[in-house]
Amino acid sequence: MSEDETALSERDEIEMLLPWYVGGTLDAIDRDRVERYLAHHPEVHRQLELIREERHATILANEALPTPPAGAVERLMASLPMRRPDLLARLLASEGYRSIADFFSQPTPRAVRYAAYAAACLLLVQSLAITALLLEGNGGGYQTAAGKDGGEGLSFFVAFTDTASTADLTRLLQDFDARIIDGPKPGGIYRVKVRSSDRSPAAAAALQRRLAERRDIVRLALPAKE
Amino acid sequence: MNEKAHDAQLMARIAAQDQAALRGLYARHQARVFRFLLRLVRQEAIAEELTNEVFLEAWRNAGRFEGKASTATWLLSIAHHRAVSVLRRRREESWNEEEAAEIADAKDTPEVELQKTDKAAILRRCLEQLSPEHREVIDLVYYHEMSIGAVSSIVGIPESTVKTRMFYARKRMSELLKTAGVDRGWP
Repeated sequence: MSEDETALSERDEIEMLLPWYVGGTLDAIDRDRVERYLAHHPEVHRQLELIREERHATILANEALPTPPAGAVERLMASLPMRRPDLLARLLASEGYRSIADFFSQPTPRAVRYAAYAAACLLLVQSLAITALLLEGNGGGYQTAAGKDGGEGLSFFVAFTDTASTADLTRLLQDFDARIIDGPKPGGIYRVKVRSSDRSPAAAAALQRRLAERRDIVRLALPAKE
Repeated sequence: MNEKAHDAQLMARIAAQDQAALRGLYARHQARVFRFLLRLVRQEAIAEELTNEVFLEAWRNAGRFEGKASTATWLLSIAHHRAVSVLRRRREESWNEEEAAEIADAKDTPEVELQKTDKAAILRRCLEQLSPEHREVIDLVYYHEMSIGAVSSIVGIPESTVKTRMFYARKRMSELLKTAGVDRGWP
């Protein structure tokens, strides 16, 4: 008789239900059926004893097994793919942004005066920058914006931990002389460029390792193509 | 709050990406899932890795959990499929009963020889000699206390096959016991 064969004697059918009867997990209809059969066939009670023995041995065998090692849950939590809030949303929620927003939303005479000074300074800086560019332009050649501000560097795909604050991210970027140049991508991954004159594979591997060591902030760090 | 309601609440919170709820679910079911997997794959490192995969899948798919089956049944169903994939990949342990028995028989040590005199120990040893397929159904019914319907859902076989598989697992165990010198008079 194969496991899928269904032509069974009543006794076979009852015997098949006994493990669940002993475990108390049989539905009411089958339980009544088993009890009726047992009432008229006392010899089947011997089966119940055998099942209790098997059950006891199985429980002991399982209870003797270990549970997951300490730290397993932390490894699980560290590997969670997070639907992270957008970095921009976190920055907008930061204290620094709120101060700036308050500055413009509730202008005071002093605030207006500061704004005027700031605007004047900005105009001055802009005119100086334009002058410098014109002078440089005379020297010939042109350079892309990326080449100008940190084109020399190594790119990484970085995902941050859920507990990392905006201040943590800022500190990390400062520590590595890095900036976020793209993201977030699916999975909360950002493209980060780390300024480095050494662009060798060894330097990339060392930087990746250093990033990965910041486990409180960095969940994932992988090298990205330039 | 009963166990099922507590689990259902945890699953709803996990669906909303609540990490504390996942920790709660892990604390409640980790031993059950890990032991179920360990009995099948027989290597702690692999069982731990698979346990994490089970809870990761729970994290990803908690929103799809409808609560028709219990959370334990749902987790063990994921665990079953992960373990079967590993066993198929490894091809170290066949789903063939005779081969499994031969592997186990080759492991006799002085300690095992001593245990042969103890009936309970012989029973446990015979359990180890069952094929993974038979050991799984016995564990699910006796240790995890799963109903016929729950076993059917976890293993992915019809309820009639669950009953016959359990029946044959028990018969096989009786045969192994008889070979070990314990005649139970059944079958």
